[in-house]
Amino acid sequence: MEKFNLSTSRLNALIKHLMTRGIVYAPHKNGEVSFSFDEVRDPGKVILNYNRTLQSIKKYFLPPREQLLSFSLKSGSLSKVEPENPLRIFLGVHSYDMQAVLRLDYNFSQGNPELNYLKRRQNSLFIGVSFEPDTYHFSRSVGIMVEEFDGFDLFLDKHSSGYTLYVVTQAGEELLSGFDHLEEAPDRPATHREFRNKIKYNFNRLSEVFDHAWDSSVWEEIAQRCVGCGTCNLVCPTCYCFDVEDDVNLSLADGSRYRSWDGCMLNSFAKVAGGENFRADLSDRQRHRVYRKFKYITDVTGEPWCVGCGRCTAYCTAGISIVETVNRLCEEYEQTVLRKPLAKQDWVL
Amino acid sequence: MSNHIRTGIEEPDRKMLELYYPEIAEITRTKQITELEKWFEIALPGNRDLNHQPGQFVQVSLFGFGEAPISVTSSPTKRGVFELCVRKVGTLTTAMHKLKPGDRIGIRGPFGHGFDLQKMEGKDILIIGGGIGIVPLRSLINTVIDRRSDFGRFIILYGAKTPGELLFKDELKSWREDPTIEYHVTVDQGTPDWDGNVGVITTLIPRLDLNLGNTIAAVVGPPIMYKFVLMALKSKRLPDENIYLSLERRMKCGVGKCGHCQINHSYVCQDGPVYHYPVIKQLPEAIQ
Ligand SMILES: Cc1cc2nc3c(=O)[nH]c(=O)nc-3n(C[C@H](O)[C@H](O)[C@H](O)COP(=O)(O)OP(=O)(O)OC[C@H]3O[C@@H](n4cnc5c(N)ncnc54)[C@H](O)[C@@H]3O)c2cc1C
Ligand code: SF4
Ligand code: SF4
Ligand code: FES
Repeated sequence: MEKFNLSTSRLNALIKHLMTRGIVYAPHKNGEVSFSFDEVRDPGKVILNYNRTLQSIKKYFLPPREQLLSFSLKSGSLSKVEPENPLRIFLGVHSYDMQAVLRLDYNFSQGNPELNYLKRRQNSLFIGVSFEPDTYHFSRSVGIMVEEFDGFDLFLDKHSSGYTLYVVTQAGEELLSGFDHLEEAPDRPATHREFRNKIKYNFNRLSEVFDHAWDSSVWEEIAQRCVGCGTCNLVCPTCYCFDVEDDVNLSLADGSRYRSWDGCMLNSFAKVAGGENFRADLSDRQRHRVYRKFKYITDVTGEPWCVGCGRCTAYCTAGISIVETVNRLCEEYEQTVLRKPLAKQDWVL
Repeated sequence: MSNHIRTGIEEPDRKMLELYYPEIAEITRTKQITELEKWFEIALPGNRDLNHQPGQFVQVSLFGFGEAPISVTSSPTKRGVFELCVRKVGTLTTAMHKLKPGDRIGIRGPFGHGFDLQKMEGKDILIIGGGIGIVPLRSLINTVIDRRSDFGRFIILYGAKTPGELLFKDELKSWREDPTIEYHVTVDQGTPDWDGNVGVITTLIPRLDLNLGNTIAAVVGPPIMYKFVLMALKSKRLPDENIYLSLERRMKCGVGKCGHCQINHSYVCQDGPVYHYPVIKQLPEAIQ
């Protein structure tokens, strides 16, 4: 793989170059402590050294509210709304968020493939950046390294004196054409990046743990603290459930059908007409959310659908930690199923 | 230049645009069959067949009100038009009750899995319908009636809260009069002019004389009914693999995306609404 040196001082020049090729989105400061992906207008405002953005880049492919079709009530006619897809360059994406996009690609292309998502996703290029894990990140525990290149076209690996710019795909190489004076980078030893937050078992053992976790008392215990606000769904880069509703304009002549993000932690999510609620208890909803991240899709694809970003924990209103939940289930599994601690060699973290 | 850069995602197939895009259909006939239920006959453009299986549903659009999943109540043997029967329970269904012949609605579908007709061929068919559950079952019932020689014995059990809530009364009469149908009906609460069975639907099951290995049961009713009907069928020793039931869940898309209809790993809009009972036994969230 080709790799180049990129000094911190040339970063702005690179961003300016990218802006001539497409619309560039990158992390910016959002208030004092938070970060968000936004369109780049001033390269100087881009921040590549960040812990996490409140929302992942999911919002660009699955907007929080999106028009599906429009209708005229007078003439009874319908029209389709097709998303636009200009070339978009996502700069400064962490590996777990890239992995989340690849998981959404699966969700929206298998079964009934969905044009709205795939069209938005189509002309997108991704430039990754390495990060220093904080106390919430645990992506390593779900098999995602900081320097996981999969999905990226280019990757910026930070080291003490600047960045190494890896050219991962042909598209990445084309993106750099016209950006001159790049000098070949030497091989460097991989930077050691320690994840303090860890799931107790290797992720390939979790499916077994979840085979035995259905009746655990853990669900009831976390439900006692959970307020059902749905924040954990809202910030999760792999949550994609949605609601659909019609809106009629004030003129009452025409309107649109919209879809908007929904969350399985909200009380009404599984409620049907007549009042029956198929997941009325918070413990059932907690269990459903966590099974969606570690069991249901994982049993089909082999990959955890939680990418270890730590958002649901960092932003939980009630301080509920998904790693703690999973670790509790691992401990219960040891105590009630294995009846001994899992052998050391299973710790591949 | 943007078009020269190859990204991982191929140009999406134009057909995908239709995923959420309903077809405009016309209501051709309606009938108020009870205070709460209204029947609709609907024609797709060019009187094209809907091509559904009994047990499948469509997403009905009333623009400005949204979409709702509604079972197709007519049988596939009825050509050119199809029928729905809608209970007035909320915003969309109330608005739908105001519609007349000539009015237009949007239709997507048919969606999901219906009853496995192939597996039912040559077998005795036991229909168990509670309340509005008779609506999707009627599609199966009329299929069996129209292809009567393809099936063995035909037993229909139907239960409603009161005689006034019984649906499709003309057809119930013809089922009763048909010598090839063993039809039993019950109501939870009788009225002075009701001379039939009184009691919940499960009370009809113990007295049945079934050819166990050769009988396929199709069960549709409110969630609470399933547990008791299944218990009654089990004590008759009907094998689990001879039972099919249809489950209701909230649905927003019908195409396996919105997540609302999920039961464990299964999407009711895709794998259901009709499930083979052995599959349901693997889904702890299915029947509570
Ligand atoms: C597979 C299937 C088949 C059905 N077949 C029939 C039928 O043949 N006849 C009939 O009368 N009813 C049927 N229903 C139930 C029907 O879909 C609901 O009664 C209807 O959606 C209620 O909408 P509303 O706006 O009138 O009610 P409201 O209570 O005003 O609806 C509120 C919201 O809840 C949603 N919602 C409520 N209940 C349901 C539900 N059960 N499924 C999905 N979304 C729901 C609505 O979309 C809406 O967003 C079926 C449901 C399913 C899942
Ligand atoms: S963010 Fe926390 S409190 Fe809110 S629904 Fe999720 S787990 Fe419950
Ligand atoms: S479940 Fe939590 S940690 Fe896992 S991907 Fe979603 S928000 Fe991130
Ligand atoms: S109705 Fe949307 S996933 Fe089934």
